[in-house]
Amino acid sequence: MNGKILKGILIAVPAVYLLTLSLIYLDIYDKRPVLSLFKNLQSDSSLELMDFSLEKPAAAKAMPLANKDRNAYYGDVHVHTKYSFDAYVFGVTASPDDAYKYAKGEGISHPLGYEMKLQEPLDFYSVTDHGFYMGMIQAYADTSTDISKQDFAKPFHNLNRPENLTADSTAERANIFSSVLAQTIINPQPWWHINTMKAYFTKNIQLALASFDYDVHKSAWEDIVRSANEHNDPGNFTAFIGYEFTTSTDTEGGNLHRNVLFNSSTAPIRPWTRIDSINPEDLWTWQDGLREKGVDTISMPHNSNGSNGQMFEMETFKGGAINRAYAEKRMRNEPVVEITQVKGTSDTHPLLSPDDEWADFEIMDKRVGSRPPTFSRPSGGYVREAYLNGLTLDFSGQGNPYKFGLIGSSDTHTGAGSYDEDNYWSKVGLLDGAAANRGSIPLSGQQINDLKEYSAEFNQPISTIDMNQGTYSNTGFTQWGASGLAVAWAEENTRDSIFEAFKRKETFATTGTRIAVRFFAGYDLASIDLSSDTLVSEAYEKGVTMGADLLNDDNQAPDFLVWAQKDKNGAALQRVQIIKGWIDIDSGTPNEKVYDVACSDGLSVDPITYRCPDNGAKVSIADCSITQGVGASELKTVWNDPDFDPSIKSFYYVRVLENPTCRWSSWDAVRAGVTPREDLHETLQERAWSSPIWYVPAASDIVVIPLGGTISLGDS
Amino acid sequence: MKSKITVFFIIGLLIYLIDIGFNSDQNTKDIFISDQEITSLISAWKSQVGRNPTDDEISRIISNLVEEEILYREALLLGLDREDRIIKRRLAQKITFLKQESMADIPSNKDLTDFYTSNKEKYYIQPTYTFKHYFFSAENNSEERSNIAFKKVINNNQAIKSDPFFLGKSFSDNNLDEISGNFGRQFALNFNQVKLNQWVGPYKSSFGHHIVFVIYSKSGYYPEIAQVLKQVEVDLISFNKEAAVSNYIDQIKSEYKVIINPNLKFDE
Repeated sequence: MNGKILKGILIAVPAVYLLTLSLIYLDIYDKRPVLSLFKNLQSDSSLELMDFSLEKPAAAKAMPLANKDRNAYYGDVHVHTKYSFDAYVFGVTASPDDAYKYAKGEGISHPLGYEMKLQEPLDFYSVTDHGFYMGMIQAYADTSTDISKQDFAKPFHNLNRPENLTADSTAERANIFSSVLAQTIINPQPWWHINTMKAYFTKNIQLALASFDYDVHKSAWEDIVRSANEHNDPGNFTAFIGYEFTTSTDTEGGNLHRNVLFNSSTAPIRPWTRIDSINPEDLWTWQDGLREKGVDTISMPHNSNGSNGQMFEMETFKGGAINRAYAEKRMRNEPVVEITQVKGTSDTHPLLSPDDEWADFEIMDKRVGSRPPTFSRPSGGYVREAYLNGLTLDFSGQGNPYKFGLIGSSDTHTGAGSYDEDNYWSKVGLLDGAAANRGSIPLSGQQINDLKEYSAEFNQPISTIDMNQGTYSNTGFTQWGASGLAVAWAEENTRDSIFEAFKRKETFATTGTRIAVRFFAGYDLASIDLSSDTLVSEAYEKGVTMGADLLNDDNQAPDFLVWAQKDKNGAALQRVQIIKGWIDIDSGTPNEKVYDVACSDGLSVDPITYRCPDNGAKVSIADCSITQGVGASELKTVWNDPDFDPSIKSFYYVRVLENPTCRWSSWDAVRAGVTPREDLHETLQERAWSSPIWYVPAASDIVVIPLGGTISLGDS
Repeated sequence: MKSKITVFFIIGLLIYLIDIGFNSDQNTKDIFISDQEITSLISAWKSQVGRNPTDDEISRIISNLVEEEILYREALLLGLDREDRIIKRRLAQKITFLKQESMADIPSNKDLTDFYTSNKEKYYIQPTYTFKHYFFSAENNSEERSNIAFKKVINNNQAIKSDPFFLGKSFSDNNLDEISGNFGRQFALNFNQVKLNQWVGPYKSSFGHHIVFVIYSKSGYYPEIAQVLKQVEVDLISFNKEAAVSNYIDQIKSEYKVIINPNLKFDE
């Protein structure tokens, strides 16, 4: 009797298992809704929330009063620690706790041993490790973990070889970085594996990968979330829970990376990653889902410059037409874009803005993570052009998906952002932490041989360049820079207040300097006394500020009020500019123009060229000293657009420029006692960009019928 | 029963002795390469190149491995590892992490109190100042204008024509770090001995000159431990981690003798 039951069970269990698997197989591969009932059994692990908040006694220091005229809070919302798959490859061992300590002003250690410390603490910070494979590479390299015994983890064991923790292992490390994205990720469990079934029922593809240990992944995420909650100190210091959604297009490797910030202590049990989907539109769907459950998030694209023109395309990810639903969904979830960071600045490119003398600024023209470094198509990768394309899409009735505000951040992989030209450690730890490795001073003979060997070993072009001063490393790090910061105009230094500023786009970006800038538009701002103490509150009352729309009011011409203040530890201001973009009323053709609106040293703008005269500020390259007593501590003006037409869709954003100073590469050279490399910019002008104000004309009667005419303007 | 155990014991002992016998004359110049090592190299090769290595390539990989091992051993024999700063630092780092990981206990209340008492300075709440100011922009002759204004204001003449300051006119409960963040370090120093309820200055900042009226000031104090408990806990845990390493070093330091040339001179 017992034997029979046992036998029955022995047959039934595998039979049921096989049946379930075959049903799942059908459900996945057969589009007919026969098994739609099955979908009801699925739970979505990416929407499972957990309250990570800590019980904390009230802070000892009283919370400062909120300022209704808003304060400028400086922060960095793009920081990697040892939990990022690549940071670990770069020799980084800094934890999220270390990162927040750094932001609060403590010194922490660079992988090469020197101390990294801020001149002045930051107001907010977010550790945003790569979501996919979070914590995983660290586990591969640690030979005591089970996962490290798997085949795919073997390349990473070598990382612990002492000889690999030298700054000379650049090529090998970079190679592992590139291969992770391509290779180890495709490693599914066999179809009959129990984890394949689990993955299906919890909508968690990660579980079906042999190269993935979900527990390791979740514990890394938990530690990141715990650290943010622990360091968050309302009123004094804000720490956001965050991570990076590290996606790219599958055809050209176009970088579509985004950082996701949470306005809560509650977070999903795991981040949504490129393993769930490489399509950013699915990320937004997930964000919408979280918002319905009471967890608000924003995502922030970065390195559009290295996207091969695919960050700000004129079509959707899958090549469909952009419509209003798409535009609204994108803007609901991504209100701000990172315009500047260590891997270059994405304001505009000299090819896109030939008439902008300041366009050639910290240009990084390679695709992110490509090997060998591969050219990235500028069009579609820069924010000014995206603003114009947004207007054009809007013109043809497709909505404006590119109506975003601006922030900067660092993208450091050492836990500590590098914002100062004269104290620069770049981004990727061992790879670029020393001057010779980042190409600012000549290489020694030994270093040249090492580089040649590695290049040969990994079938890469030899990445050196011969100059009069010697042979330099030419691995792309020369195009990186000491940038940038995100600045929010917020009532108080709390998660809510800063997050709301991001959503309102009341933000500006700087290249690491602490410039501050106010920007308003309205129809009666000229009546404000610029020397009055109530200047700001009046401007808020009478106008709109950065990130907002200025609606047509009886075809009046608007006034623009700008007020910029220099960084108290930085160079003086040289000029304030307003950059205008607009489209022709009859064809949607994009145009742009840069106006100087305020000059330092009492100089005035030339009414024909719209340029300030030279203020005479100079840099001495021998020692990087700058001319004293030239430039402004603040610049303030009300400006009117000389070419204003009330019927034209346009946007206006501010660019504030400092007097020139030495670039980091010149500082490296000066310190090493050599002349700066001849093919790099010796100096640069630190700057800030405000989010734009969009001018919205009265509704037009024109019916636009773009060629093709089949665009669905409603829901997709 | 007993005899069986004895038999097993004797067999075990024999195996052990034989093993020792064989290993004792093992040549130190043997290089043993396991199947696993080779397959892992091949998979590393595969993940970097994107295809399986050919036979030629496999034999090159293996001969590279052998050569590397030989060079590694010869380097060890020559003591090259001992002179390499990077190798030294990495090994030191590895043992540091090992020692730190072994010390992750949750501290007791007594530990916390003790730690707080001996590190009180760290939790000191700085004095704060609530003040207003007249600002004279460096863009507009700030030194002269502020001096004139100061004379007016101390004579109760309220008709002061100053400039708007970017961060506003009034500041409440700013500590010295915040003042220095808002105005610059030099300016903040003036607050160390500032007089209350009267106009003082003009003080120079990074932006111009200011005349300042401190309305009130809260003196600094040491908070109750309950107010900062969480912070104390975080600090104690990280302190313990560091202490684990330094204790370890202290324990074995005595076994080492450090010799430094007392007569060393170095030229500039």
